[in-house]
Amino acid sequence: MLKFGSCVNLSATEVAQGGSPLIDVQELSKTFKLSRRQQRELGKEKSAKTITALDRVSFQCQPGRVFTLLGPNGAGKTTALRIMATLMKPTAGTVKVNGHDVGKNPREVRHSMGSLTGSTGLYARLTPLEMLKYYADLYRLPPEKFRSRRDDLVARLDIGSFAEQRIGKLSTGQKQRVSIARTVIHDPDVVVFDEPTSGLDVISARNIVQLIKDCRQQGKTVIFSTHIMGEVSLLADDLAIIHKGRLLFNDTFKAFRKRMESRSLEDEFIRIVEEA
Amino acid sequence: MEFPIAWTIFKKEFIDTIRDRRTIIGMVILPLIMFPLIFMVMDRVMSSTDQKAREAMLQVAVFDQGNASGFRPYVGRQEAMELAEGLSREDIEDLIRNEELDGAYVFAPDFDAAVADRRSGRVTVYYKVTDTKIGRDRILEPLRQYGRDLLQARLDQLEVSEEFVTTVDIEERNVASQKERLAQMVGGFLPYMFILFCFTGAMYPAIDLGAGEKERGTLETLLASPAGRLEILLGKFGVVVLTGIFAACMSILGLYLGASQISLGEERMEDVMALLEPHSIALVLSLLLPLTVFFAGIMLSLSVFAKSFKEAQSTISPMIILVILPAAIGMAPGVELDSLTALAPILNVSLATKGIIAESINPLHLALTYVSLFVFAIISLVFSTFWFGREGVIFR
Repeated sequence: MLKFGSCVNLSATEVAQGGSPLIDVQELSKTFKLSRRQQRELGKEKSAKTITALDRVSFQCQPGRVFTLLGPNGAGKTTALRIMATLMKPTAGTVKVNGHDVGKNPREVRHSMGSLTGSTGLYARLTPLEMLKYYADLYRLPPEKFRSRRDDLVARLDIGSFAEQRIGKLSTGQKQRVSIARTVIHDPDVVVFDEPTSGLDVISARNIVQLIKDCRQQGKTVIFSTHIMGEVSLLADDLAIIHKGRLLFNDTFKAFRKRMESRSLEDEFIRIVEEA
Repeated sequence: MEFPIAWTIFKKEFIDTIRDRRTIIGMVILPLIMFPLIFMVMDRVMSSTDQKAREAMLQVAVFDQGNASGFRPYVGRQEAMELAEGLSREDIEDLIRNEELDGAYVFAPDFDAAVADRRSGRVTVYYKVTDTKIGRDRILEPLRQYGRDLLQARLDQLEVSEEFVTTVDIEERNVASQKERLAQMVGGFLPYMFILFCFTGAMYPAIDLGAGEKERGTLETLLASPAGRLEILLGKFGVVVLTGIFAACMSILGLYLGASQISLGEERMEDVMALLEPHSIALVLSLLLPLTVFFAGIMLSLSVFAKSFKEAQSTISPMIILVILPAAIGMAPGVELDSLTALAPILNVSLATKGIIAESINPLHLALTYVSLFVFAIISLVFSTFWFGREGVIFR
């Protein structure tokens, strides 16, 4: 029996709707050393030399499903995703992506992953086509595969009309479409979205939502972090609520709705966080 | 380590960099125009100052108390020089200091008697000269002519030739080569400029490829790609070093263009061409290459540590002073390349370049310079690799 307000980690078999998990996070912890200035800014005592961003977090993500990581700012969502993307090293615990350990085989992990964040930038002095070629080369895509992926993405995302203009001269919406194409140019099995709609207008945000739905339809594993309730109800198959580095809830979104004690998702989320 | 990935990053960073107007200004335009501009301004200013000093009307006063009356016509014979009359002897220093008068000749009361007695007559000359020597020479010229004529009269009286008083006939022959003379003239200044352009040419790309990329949010995406940190760093490093070396090459080209633009005369032009001999340039560039690697390592480390472009700029820009200082010490007379100075980066390049231009460099000191520069370049590269690998630096 799942209880809100407590940290519940379900095993893959309990959560899984499809095959074996593509992302397997076990007992993941991350602590950061604090500088004196940070200690002062955070109002920490002199003895507190570290801060815990993640505390024994475990979850699994299945192919063809959207795993949503929900939490307030500073909850540890970005840290968890950065560890998954091999940008940071865990202090303890293990993370496996597509069977590869993030610490032991970081290059293989990165090959099978695409990531898009709200703060993702583009090279303003390159054209969209140059940008796609650059990332295809980094992922060592064979020329034929690159051409077919490029043509497909340019057509699907309607990039053709501005494909050879400098990115710096494009509108926000056009840039967003280029970002999407860049994220999936190598056709990754796992796609990570870290607050991808923050700062975007409604139309650009809708493009992202559509991309996430497309990824799910294509059987990709999608991990999506947000603090926007509307996006959760629109996209989440599985939901994990994280607060102060600890998982407070981890189950299907359907299960979350069934167990809701409050009238709205937002109220329920606040209730869980406040109880923690 | 996958070299094709480092090469991919290098190519992209290079395209991105050369499309940036600010980099082009620092890498091509400034180094290319700086020497012609310096030469042109110096040429114009110097010739205009000289011309002004030669043509300016000089007001001079003579205080001879009735003696040395033969001197006044000599003043009258000078071009653009006139005698000021009715001035008080006590006021002359103030008048000259306030530039109301250009010069004054004060003859000693016994001047005539001394000359008649075949002794030296004393004349005190007052003038105010702070810039060019031309003003002083023009004021002294009537006195020199007067003195020569008095001497000639004395020799005529004694019926002796001028050789009688010229005991030593000095014939000067400077055996210093054109290159050595040129090295003395510009040997300190040129490496100073080359080093400065190496630094400033590499500075903007280093800031843009580190802090700029961090600020734009593209660094995290790049780090999440299969490119390893060493490959990313090497790609960026290559571009930063290339832009620094390219800026130095542009400054050498600018030196050539500048020298051909001004009227140096055939002999001087030959000197400049001798300076630009391929083997001299190749040697200078071979010194600048490890120095630029050293600069690139420091600049990229500071750049990736900064949270924003602005922060990186404010950290790296003051470093120009640290670069200028040893380069300027190298310009000072008497500072030579020896076993100790050959170990000090920047200063050793400055002094070695002087030696290369003069073709008087000691091979052992040159070898020590290379060893020192390569050691510092490797330390800088290793440090920046370690620094770039720290997550606390990337995600501050």
